[in-house]
Amino acid sequence: MELLLTVGIVILVVVILFLLIFWGYYNRIIRLENRIDNSWAQIDVQLKRRADLIPNLMETVKGYMTHEKETLENVTKARSALMNAKTPQDNINADNMLTGALKTLFAVAESYPDLKANQNFLQLQDELTHTEDKISYARQHFNDSVLAFNNIVETIPGVWFAKRMNKTVKEMLQIPIENREVPKVKF
Amino acid sequence: MLVEDHIKHNKRLTFLICGFMALLFLSVIFAFGYIYFGNIYISLFFGLPVAIIYIGITYSFSVQTVLSAAKARPANSRIREEKLLMYKVEEMAIAAGLPIPKVYVQDSNNINAFATGKKPEEAIICATTGALQKLKTDELEGVIAHEMSHIKNHDILIATVTIGVVGAIALISEIVFYSMFWGGAGRGGRKNEGNAIIMILAIILIILAPIFSRLTYLAISRKREYLADSNGAYLTRNPEGLAKALESIKNDTSSGKPKGSKTVAPLYIANPFKSQSINSIWATHPPLDERIRRLRSM
Repeated sequence: MELLLTVGIVILVVVILFLLIFWGYYNRIIRLENRIDNSWAQIDVQLKRRADLIPNLMETVKGYMTHEKETLENVTKARSALMNAKTPQDNINADNMLTGALKTLFAVAESYPDLKANQNFLQLQDELTHTEDKISYARQHFNDSVLAFNNIVETIPGVWFAKRMNKTVKEMLQIPIENREVPKVKF
Repeated sequence: MLVEDHIKHNKRLTFLICGFMALLFLSVIFAFGYIYFGNIYISLFFGLPVAIIYIGITYSFSVQTVLSAAKARPANSRIREEKLLMYKVEEMAIAAGLPIPKVYVQDSNNINAFATGKKPEEAIICATTGALQKLKTDELEGVIAHEMSHIKNHDILIATVTIGVVGAIALISEIVFYSMFWGGAGRGGRKNEGNAIIMILAIILIILAPIFSRLTYLAISRKREYLADSNGAYLTRNPEGLAKALESIKNDTSSGKPKGSKTVAPLYIANPFKSQSINSIWATHPPLDERIRRLRSM
Protein backbone atom coordinates (compact mmCIF):
# COMPACT_ATOMS: atom_id res chain seq x y z
CA MET A 1 0.00 0.00 0.00
CA GLU A 2 2.86 2.34 0.97
CA LEU A 3 4.73 1.48 -2.21
CA LEU A 4 1.71 2.22 -4.38
CA LEU A 5 1.30 5.62 -2.78
CA THR A 6 4.97 6.53 -3.28
CA VAL A 7 4.91 5.43 -6.92
CA GLY A 8 1.73 7.43 -7.43
CA ILE A 9 3.28 10.59 -5.99
CA VAL A 10 6.44 10.20 -8.09
CA ILE A 11 4.39 9.82 -11.25
CA LEU A 12 2.32 12.87 -10.32
CA VAL A 13 5.46 14.97 -9.78
CA VAL A 14 6.93 13.87 -13.11
CA VAL A 15 3.71 14.68 -14.95
CA ILE A 16 3.50 18.13 -13.32
CA LEU A 17 7.15 18.84 -14.18
CA PHE A 18 6.55 17.85 -17.78
CA LEU A 19 3.48 20.08 -18.02
CA LEU A 20 5.43 23.03 -16.58
CA ILE A 21 8.24 22.55 -19.09
CA PHE A 22 5.73 22.23 -21.92
CA TRP A 23 4.03 25.43 -20.75
CA GLY A 24 7.34 27.25 -20.79
CA TYR A 25 8.35 26.10 -24.25
CA TYR A 26 4.88 26.61 -25.72
CA ASN A 27 4.81 30.24 -24.63
CA ARG A 28 8.37 30.86 -25.72
CA ILE A 29 7.68 29.50 -29.21
CA ILE A 30 4.53 31.60 -29.53
CA ARG A 31 6.33 34.75 -28.35
CA LEU A 32 9.20 34.27 -30.78
CA GLU A 33 6.73 33.72 -33.60
CA ASN A 34 4.90 36.91 -32.67
CA ARG A 35 8.18 38.77 -32.67
CA ILE A 36 8.78 37.61 -36.23
CA ASP A 37 5.33 38.81 -37.33
CA ASN A 38 5.89 42.12 -35.59
CA SER A 39 9.30 42.66 -37.20
CA TRP A 40 7.84 41.89 -40.63
CA ALA A 41 5.11 44.47 -40.01
CA GLN A 42 7.90 46.95 -39.15
CA ILE A 43 9.57 46.32 -42.50
CA ASP A 44 6.25 46.77 -44.22
CA VAL A 45 5.65 50.13 -42.49
CA GLN A 46 9.03 51.44 -43.64
CA LEU A 47 8.55 50.18 -47.20
CA LYS A 48 5.21 51.98 -47.40
CA ARG A 49 6.80 55.11 -45.96
CA ARG A 50 9.45 55.06 -48.65
CA ALA A 51 6.89 54.51 -51.39
CA ASP A 52 4.97 57.52 -50.02
CA LEU A 53 8.01 59.77 -50.17
CA ILE A 54 8.71 59.09 -53.83
CA PRO A 55 5.91 61.21 -55.41
CA ASN A 56 7.12 64.15 -53.30
CA LEU A 57 10.65 63.60 -54.52
CA MET A 58 9.51 63.37 -58.15
CA GLU A 59 7.66 66.68 -57.85
CA THR A 60 10.73 68.41 -56.43
CA VAL A 61 13.24 67.17 -59.00
CA LYS A 62 11.24 67.12 -62.21
CA GLY A 63 11.52 70.90 -62.64
CA TYR A 64 15.31 70.65 -62.49
CA MET A 65 16.16 67.31 -64.07
CA THR A 66 14.21 67.78 -67.28
CA HIS A 67 16.69 65.76 -69.39
CA GLU A 68 16.96 62.74 -67.13
CA LYS A 69 13.85 60.90 -68.26
CA GLU A 70 15.33 57.42 -67.95
CA THR A 71 16.62 57.96 -64.43
CA LEU A 72 13.29 59.32 -63.24
CA GLU A 73 11.35 56.57 -64.99
CA ASN A 74 13.45 53.88 -63.30
CA VAL A 75 12.46 55.26 -59.92
CA THR A 76 8.77 55.32 -60.82
CA LYS A 77 8.94 51.77 -62.23
CA ALA A 78 10.66 50.47 -59.10
CA ARG A 79 8.05 52.13 -56.96
CA SER A 80 5.20 50.39 -58.81
CA ALA A 81 7.00 47.08 -58.42
CA LEU A 82 7.11 47.75 -54.69
CA MET A 83 3.41 48.57 -54.51
CA ASN A 84 2.59 45.32 -56.36
CA ALA A 85 4.84 43.02 -54.37
CA LYS A 86 3.07 40.11 -52.70
CA THR A 87 5.47 37.85 -50.80
CA PRO A 88 8.14 39.03 -48.32
CA GLN A 89 10.87 38.06 -50.79
CA ASP A 90 9.06 39.98 -53.59
CA ASN A 91 9.03 42.99 -51.32
CA ILE A 92 12.74 42.74 -50.64
CA ASN A 93 13.57 42.36 -54.35
CA ALA A 94 11.45 45.39 -55.28
CA ASP A 95 13.01 47.33 -52.42
CA ASN A 96 16.49 46.61 -53.77
CA MET A 97 15.46 47.79 -57.21
CA LEU A 98 14.18 51.03 -55.72
CA THR A 99 17.36 51.54 -53.71
CA GLY A 100 19.43 51.14 -56.86
CA ALA A 101 17.25 53.53 -58.85
CA LEU A 102 17.42 56.14 -56.09
CA LYS A 103 21.21 55.80 -55.84
CA THR A 104 21.46 56.65 -59.54
CA LEU A 105 19.07 59.57 -59.15
CA PHE A 106 21.04 61.07 -56.26
CA ALA A 107 24.32 60.53 -58.12
CA VAL A 108 22.93 62.34 -61.16
CA ALA A 109 21.55 65.12 -58.92
CA GLU A 110 25.16 65.95 -57.99
CA SER A 111 25.51 67.77 -61.31
CA TYR A 112 22.55 70.06 -60.65
CA PRO A 113 23.78 72.66 -58.11
CA ASP A 114 20.41 74.44 -58.02
CA LEU A 115 18.69 71.21 -57.05
CA LYS A 116 21.31 70.47 -54.42
CA ALA A 117 20.63 73.84 -52.82
CA ASN A 118 16.91 73.19 -52.64
CA GLN A 119 15.94 72.73 -48.99
CA ASN A 120 13.05 70.45 -49.86
CA PHE A 121 15.33 68.19 -51.86
CA LEU A 122 17.89 68.01 -49.04
CA GLN A 123 15.25 67.09 -46.49
CA LEU A 124 13.78 64.43 -48.78
CA GLN A 125 17.25 63.04 -49.40
CA ASP A 126 17.90 62.82 -45.66
CA GLU A 127 14.59 61.16 -45.03
CA LEU A 128 14.93 58.67 -47.88
CA THR A 129 18.39 57.65 -46.67
CA HIS A 130 16.97 57.33 -43.17
CA THR A 131 14.11 55.13 -44.41
CA GLU A 132 16.56 52.91 -46.29
CA ASP A 133 18.63 52.47 -43.13
CA LYS A 134 15.49 51.66 -41.16
CA ILE A 135 14.48 49.04 -43.72
CA SER A 136 17.93 47.53 -43.56
CA TYR A 137 17.87 47.29 -39.76
CA ALA A 138 14.27 46.06 -39.73
CA ARG A 139 15.34 43.27 -42.09
CA GLN A 140 18.23 42.48 -39.78
CA HIS A 141 15.90 42.33 -36.79
CA PHE A 142 13.54 40.09 -38.76
CA ASN A 143 16.37 37.67 -39.51
CA ASP A 144 17.53 37.81 -35.88
CA SER A 145 13.98 36.92 -34.76
CA VAL A 146 13.84 34.05 -37.28
CA LEU A 147 17.19 32.82 -35.98
CA ALA A 148 15.95 32.77 -32.39
CA PHE A 149 12.77 30.97 -33.45
CA ASN A 150 14.63 28.39 -35.57
CA ASN A 151 17.07 27.72 -32.75
CA ILE A 152 14.25 26.82 -30.34
CA VAL A 153 12.33 24.80 -32.90
CA GLU A 154 15.33 22.75 -34.00
CA THR A 155 17.11 22.01 -30.73
CA ILE A 156 16.12 19.49 -28.08
CA PRO A 157 13.65 19.61 -26.33
CA GLY A 158 12.00 22.41 -28.32
CA VAL A 159 11.95 20.21 -31.40
CA TRP A 160 9.53 17.76 -29.75
CA PHE A 161 7.13 20.47 -28.59
CA ALA A 162 7.30 22.27 -31.93
CA LYS A 163 6.25 19.13 -33.78
CA ARG A 164 3.17 18.83 -31.59
CA MET A 165 2.36 22.49 -32.24
CA ASN A 166 2.89 22.06 -36.00
CA LYS A 167 5.60 24.72 -36.06
CA THR A 168 8.46 24.40 -38.51
CA VAL A 169 11.60 26.27 -39.35
CA LYS A 170 11.04 29.67 -40.98
CA GLU A 171 12.97 31.24 -43.80
CA MET A 172 15.21 34.24 -43.46
CA LEU A 173 15.15 37.10 -45.93
CA GLN A 174 17.81 36.94 -48.61
CA ILE A 175 19.26 39.86 -50.49
CA PRO A 176 19.78 38.74 -54.08
CA ILE A 177 23.26 39.71 -55.27
CA GLU A 178 22.15 40.34 -58.87
CA ASN A 179 19.81 43.07 -57.76
CA ARG A 180 22.62 45.25 -56.47
CA GLU A 181 23.10 47.82 -59.21
CA VAL A 182 26.19 49.93 -59.59
CA PRO A 183 24.88 53.38 -60.56
CA LYS A 184 25.90 54.29 -64.09
CA VAL A 185 26.15 58.04 -64.42
CA LYS A 186 26.17 59.55 -67.94
CA PHE A 187 27.43 63.11 -68.18
CA MET B 1 36.04 35.10 -30.86
CA LEU B 2 32.70 35.71 -32.49
CA VAL B 3 30.57 38.55 -31.21
CA GLU B 4 28.09 36.01 -29.84
CA ASP B 5 30.83 34.36 -27.78
CA HIS B 6 31.84 37.70 -26.29
CA ILE B 7 28.20 38.29 -25.32
CA LYS B 8 27.85 34.90 -23.61
CA HIS B 9 31.14 35.28 -21.76
CA ASN B 10 30.30 38.75 -20.45
CA LYS B 11 26.80 37.70 -19.34
CA ARG B 12 28.15 34.73 -17.36
CA LEU B 13 30.70 36.86 -15.56
CA THR B 14 28.07 39.40 -14.62
CA PHE B 15 25.90 36.71 -13.02
CA LEU B 16 28.85 35.48 -10.95
CA ILE B 17 29.79 38.93 -9.76
CA CYS B 18 26.20 39.92 -8.94
CA GLY B 19 25.81 36.68 -6.99
CA PHE B 20 28.90 37.57 -4.98
CA MET B 21 27.45 41.01 -4.27
CA ALA B 22 24.16 39.53 -3.07
CA LEU B 23 26.06 37.15 -0.79
CA LEU B 24 28.11 40.01 0.61
CA PHE B 25 25.01 42.05 1.29
CA LEU B 26 23.28 39.20 3.09
CA SER B 27 26.34 38.46 5.23
CA VAL B 28 26.54 42.11 6.24
CA ILE B 29 22.90 42.07 7.34
CA PHE B 30 23.46 38.84 9.24
CA ALA B 31 26.58 40.24 10.90
CA PHE B 32 24.71 43.37 11.91
CA GLY B 33 21.95 41.32 13.44
CA TYR B 34 24.41 39.14 15.26
CA ILE B 35 26.31 42.06 16.76
CA TYR B 36 23.23 43.82 18.03
CA PHE B 37 20.67 41.19 18.72
CA GLY B 38 22.65 37.98 18.96
CA ASN B 39 20.21 36.78 16.34
CA ILE B 40 20.58 37.12 12.60
CA TYR B 41 16.92 36.80 11.71
CA ILE B 42 15.76 39.98 13.40
CA SER B 43 18.00 42.17 11.30
CA LEU B 44 16.90 40.31 8.18
CA PHE B 45 13.30 41.04 9.09
CA PHE B 46 13.92 44.76 9.57
CA GLY B 47 17.00 45.35 7.45
CA LEU B 48 15.87 43.85 4.17
CA PRO B 49 12.66 45.90 3.82
CA VAL B 50 14.55 49.10 4.69
CA ALA B 51 17.23 48.32 2.11
CA ILE B 52 14.60 47.58 -0.52
CA ILE B 53 12.76 50.84 0.18
CA TYR B 54 16.05 52.79 0.01
CA ILE B 55 16.93 51.22 -3.33
CA GLY B 56 13.38 51.76 -4.61
CA ILE B 57 13.51 55.48 -3.81
CA THR B 58 16.88 56.05 -5.51
CA TYR B 59 15.57 54.15 -8.53
CA SER B 60 12.41 56.26 -8.82
CA PHE B 61 14.39 59.47 -8.94
CA SER B 62 17.27 58.15 -11.03
CA VAL B 63 16.15 59.73 -14.31
CA GLN B 64 15.62 63.27 -13.01
CA THR B 65 18.87 63.07 -11.06
CA VAL B 66 20.90 62.06 -14.09
CA LEU B 67 19.31 64.49 -16.53
CA SER B 68 19.65 67.54 -14.30
CA ALA B 69 23.19 66.61 -13.25
CA ALA B 70 24.14 66.41 -16.91
CA LYS B 71 22.18 69.56 -17.84
CA ALA B 72 20.76 67.74 -20.84
CA ARG B 73 18.12 69.21 -23.16
CA PRO B 74 15.81 67.48 -25.66
CA ALA B 75 17.27 67.21 -29.17
CA ASN B 76 16.21 69.90 -31.64
CA SER B 77 15.11 68.40 -34.94
CA ARG B 78 15.65 71.73 -36.74
CA ILE B 79 19.40 71.39 -36.29
CA ARG B 80 20.55 68.91 -38.91
CA GLU B 81 23.12 67.15 -36.69
CA GLU B 82 20.57 66.62 -33.97
CA LYS B 83 17.97 65.47 -36.49
CA LEU B 84 20.47 62.89 -37.76
CA LEU B 85 21.10 61.81 -34.15
CA MET B 86 17.36 61.21 -33.72
CA TYR B 87 17.40 59.20 -36.95
CA LYS B 88 20.28 57.06 -35.69
CA VAL B 89 18.52 56.39 -32.37
CA GLU B 90 15.39 55.33 -34.23
CA GLU B 91 17.37 52.98 -36.48
CA MET B 92 19.15 51.34 -33.56
CA ALA B 93 15.86 50.91 -31.72
CA ILE B 94 14.46 49.06 -34.73
CA ALA B 95 17.53 46.84 -34.91
CA ALA B 96 17.21 46.04 -31.20
CA GLY B 97 13.44 45.53 -31.30
CA LEU B 98 12.90 48.21 -28.63
CA PRO B 99 10.54 51.20 -28.44
CA ILE B 100 12.25 54.40 -29.56
CA PRO B 101 13.93 56.19 -26.65
CA LYS B 102 13.68 59.97 -26.21
CA VAL B 103 16.73 61.79 -27.48
CA TYR B 104 18.57 64.42 -25.45
CA VAL B 105 21.65 66.50 -26.13
CA GLN B 106 24.33 67.83 -23.79
CA ASP B 107 26.16 70.97 -24.87
CA SER B 108 29.78 70.03 -24.38
CA ASN B 109 32.98 69.79 -26.39
CA ASN B 110 33.78 66.34 -25.06
CA ILE B 111 32.78 63.31 -27.08
CA ASN B 112 30.42 61.29 -24.93
CA ALA B 113 26.97 59.74 -24.64
CA PHE B 114 24.86 58.09 -21.99
CA ALA B 115 21.60 56.23 -21.54
CA THR B 116 19.14 56.34 -18.69
CA GLY B 117 15.55 55.50 -17.88
CA LYS B 118 13.60 53.29 -15.53
CA LYS B 119 12.71 50.68 -18.12
CA PRO B 120 13.21 50.11 -21.85
CA GLU B 121 9.79 51.64 -22.59
CA GLU B 122 10.77 54.92 -20.93
CA ALA B 123 14.38 55.14 -21.97
CA ILE B 124 16.46 58.21 -22.81
CA ILE B 125 19.65 58.46 -24.84
CA CYS B 126 21.80 61.57 -24.69
CA ALA B 127 24.84 62.56 -26.74
CA THR B 128 27.15 65.54 -26.45
CA THR B 129 27.31 68.19 -29.17
CA GLY B 130 31.03 67.36 -29.31
CA ALA B 131 30.14 63.80 -30.31
CA LEU B 132 27.75 65.02 -33.02
CA GLN B 133 30.37 67.28 -34.51
CA LYS B 134 33.48 65.16 -34.21
CA LEU B 135 32.29 61.62 -34.94
CA LYS B 136 31.64 60.20 -38.41
CA THR B 137 28.33 58.47 -39.14
CA ASP B 138 29.46 54.89 -38.54
CA GLU B 139 31.29 55.96 -35.35
CA LEU B 140 28.18 57.70 -33.98
CA GLU B 141 26.12 54.66 -34.94
CA GLY B 142 28.46 52.44 -32.90
CA VAL B 143 28.13 54.72 -29.88
CA ILE B 144 24.32 54.78 -30.10
CA ALA B 145 24.26 50.98 -30.51
CA HIS B 146 26.36 50.71 -27.33
CA GLU B 147 23.90 52.89 -25.40
CA MET B 148 20.91 51.00 -26.85
CA SER B 149 22.48 47.77 -25.60
CA HIS B 150 22.71 49.24 -22.10
CA ILE B 151 18.96 49.87 -22.27
CA LYS B 152 18.21 46.41 -23.64
CA ASN B 153 20.31 44.72 -20.96
CA HIS B 154 18.55 46.63 -18.18
CA ASP B 155 21.93 48.02 -17.16
CA ILE B 156 20.45 51.14 -15.65
CA LEU B 157 18.39 49.00 -13.28
CA ILE B 158 21.40 46.84 -12.43
CA ALA B 159 23.62 49.86 -11.87
CA THR B 160 21.08 51.62 -9.63
CA VAL B 161 20.36 48.51 -7.55
CA THR B 162 24.06 47.75 -7.17
CA ILE B 163 24.89 51.33 -6.15
CA GLY B 164 21.96 51.14 -3.73
CA VAL B 165 23.38 47.97 -2.18
CA VAL B 166 26.81 49.59 -1.90
CA GLY B 167 25.19 52.57 -0.19
CA ALA B 168 23.20 50.36 2.16
CA ILE B 169 26.30 48.41 3.15
CA ALA B 170 28.19 51.65 3.79
CA LEU B 171 25.29 52.92 5.89
CA ILE B 172 25.12 49.78 8.03
CA SER B 173 28.87 49.89 8.45
CA GLU B 174 28.76 53.45 9.72
CA ILE B 175 25.94 52.68 12.14
CA VAL B 176 28.00 49.85 13.63
CA PHE B 177 31.06 52.08 13.96
CA TYR B 178 29.29 54.96 15.61
CA SER B 179 27.43 52.78 18.05
CA MET B 180 30.57 50.84 18.93
CA PHE B 181 32.28 54.14 19.48
CA TRP B 182 29.62 55.14 21.94
CA GLY B 183 29.75 51.68 23.50
CA GLY B 184 26.55 50.06 22.39
CA ALA B 185 27.58 46.80 20.79
CA GLY B 186 27.26 43.40 22.28
CA ARG B 187 23.77 43.76 23.56
CA GLY B 188 22.99 40.31 22.30
CA GLY B 189 23.28 37.46 24.69
CA ARG B 190 26.70 35.88 24.82
CA LYS B 191 26.20 32.42 25.98
CA ASN B 192 29.66 31.01 25.58
CA GLU B 193 33.21 31.74 24.41
CA GLY B 194 32.53 30.56 20.87
CA ASN B 195 30.32 33.58 20.32
CA ALA B 196 33.22 35.97 20.85
CA ILE B 197 35.05 34.62 17.82
CA ILE B 198 31.98 34.96 15.67
CA MET B 199 31.53 38.46 17.05
CA ILE B 200 35.04 39.39 15.95
CA LEU B 201 34.49 37.89 12.52
CA ALA B 202 31.26 39.84 12.20
CA ILE B 203 33.02 43.07 13.06
CA ILE B 204 35.82 42.44 10.58
CA LEU B 205 33.20 41.72 7.92
CA ILE B 206 31.48 45.00 8.65
CA ILE B 207 34.76 46.89 8.39
CA LEU B 208 35.83 45.34 5.11
CA ALA B 209 32.42 45.08 3.45
CA PRO B 210 32.21 48.68 2.16
CA ILE B 211 35.53 48.31 0.36
CA PHE B 212 34.65 44.90 -1.08
CA SER B 213 31.20 46.02 -2.16
CA ARG B 214 32.63 49.06 -3.92
CA LEU B 215 35.24 46.93 -5.73
CA THR B 216 32.54 44.44 -6.72
CA TYR B 217 30.34 47.23 -8.03
CA LEU B 218 33.22 48.55 -10.16
CA ALA B 219 33.88 45.04 -11.51
CA ILE B 220 30.20 44.71 -12.44
CA SER B 221 30.30 48.11 -14.10
CA ARG B 222 33.30 47.14 -16.24
CA LYS B 223 31.76 43.83 -17.29
CA ARG B 224 28.53 45.55 -18.32
CA GLU B 225 30.58 47.97 -20.43
CA TYR B 226 32.21 45.05 -22.28
CA LEU B 227 28.77 43.48 -22.73
CA ALA B 228 27.35 46.73 -24.13
CA ASP B 229 30.32 46.90 -26.52
CA SER B 230 29.70 43.35 -27.79
CA ASN B 231 25.92 43.74 -28.02
CA GLY B 232 26.35 47.08 -29.76
CA ALA B 233 28.74 45.54 -32.28
CA TYR B 234 26.16 42.82 -32.90
CA LEU B 235 23.44 45.40 -33.54
CA THR B 236 25.40 47.29 -36.17
CA ARG B 237 27.24 44.17 -37.45
CA ASN B 238 30.16 46.61 -37.57
CA PRO B 239 32.53 46.47 -34.54
CA GLU B 240 34.96 48.76 -36.38
CA GLY B 241 32.52 51.69 -36.11
CA LEU B 242 32.57 51.67 -32.31
CA ALA B 243 36.31 50.91 -32.29
CA LYS B 244 36.98 54.04 -34.35
CA ALA B 245 34.70 56.08 -32.10
CA LEU B 246 36.64 54.95 -29.01
CA GLU B 247 39.86 55.92 -30.77
CA SER B 248 38.45 59.36 -31.50
CA ILE B 249 37.55 59.67 -27.82
CA LYS B 250 41.06 58.62 -26.85
CA ASN B 251 42.65 61.23 -29.08
CA ASP B 252 40.22 63.98 -28.21
CA THR B 253 42.11 66.70 -26.40
CA SER B 254 39.32 69.18 -25.83
CA SER B 255 39.21 70.76 -22.43
CA GLY B 256 36.19 71.63 -20.36
CA LYS B 257 35.16 70.22 -17.05
CA PRO B 258 32.82 67.28 -17.43
CA LYS B 259 29.38 67.95 -16.04
CA GLY B 260 27.81 65.78 -13.41
CA SER B 261 29.11 64.12 -10.29
CA LYS B 262 31.26 61.01 -10.21
CA THR B 263 28.25 58.81 -9.54
CA VAL B 264 26.83 59.34 -13.02
CA ALA B 265 30.18 58.45 -14.59
CA PRO B 266 29.36 54.77 -15.19
CA LEU B 267 26.42 55.63 -17.43
CA TYR B 268 28.66 57.37 -19.95
CA ILE B 269 30.32 55.48 -22.78
CA ALA B 270 33.76 56.67 -21.71
CA ASN B 271 34.85 57.88 -18.34
CA PRO B 272 34.35 61.66 -18.43
CA PHE B 273 36.80 62.09 -15.60
CA LYS B 274 40.02 61.28 -17.42
CA SER B 275 42.05 61.91 -14.31
CA GLN B 276 40.86 58.59 -12.92
CA SER B 277 43.55 55.99 -13.50
CA ILE B 278 42.33 53.97 -16.44
CA ASN B 279 43.91 50.64 -15.66
CA SER B 280 43.04 50.14 -12.03
CA ILE B 281 40.41 48.11 -10.23
CA TRP B 282 38.95 51.41 -9.11
CA ALA B 283 37.85 52.35 -12.64
CA THR B 284 34.20 52.28 -13.68
CA HIS B 285 35.11 51.68 -17.31
CA PRO B 286 37.56 49.21 -18.81
CA PRO B 287 40.64 50.78 -20.40
CA LEU B 288 39.90 52.19 -23.88
CA ASP B 289 42.78 50.27 -25.50
CA GLU B 290 41.47 46.93 -24.27
CA ARG B 291 37.95 47.74 -25.47
CA ILE B 292 39.30 48.67 -28.91
CA ARG B 293 41.36 45.49 -29.04
CA ARG B 294 38.37 43.28 -28.19
CA LEU B 295 36.17 45.00 -30.77
CA ARG B 296 38.77 44.54 -33.48
CA SER B 297 39.12 40.85 -32.67
CA MET B 298 35.45 40.14 -33.40
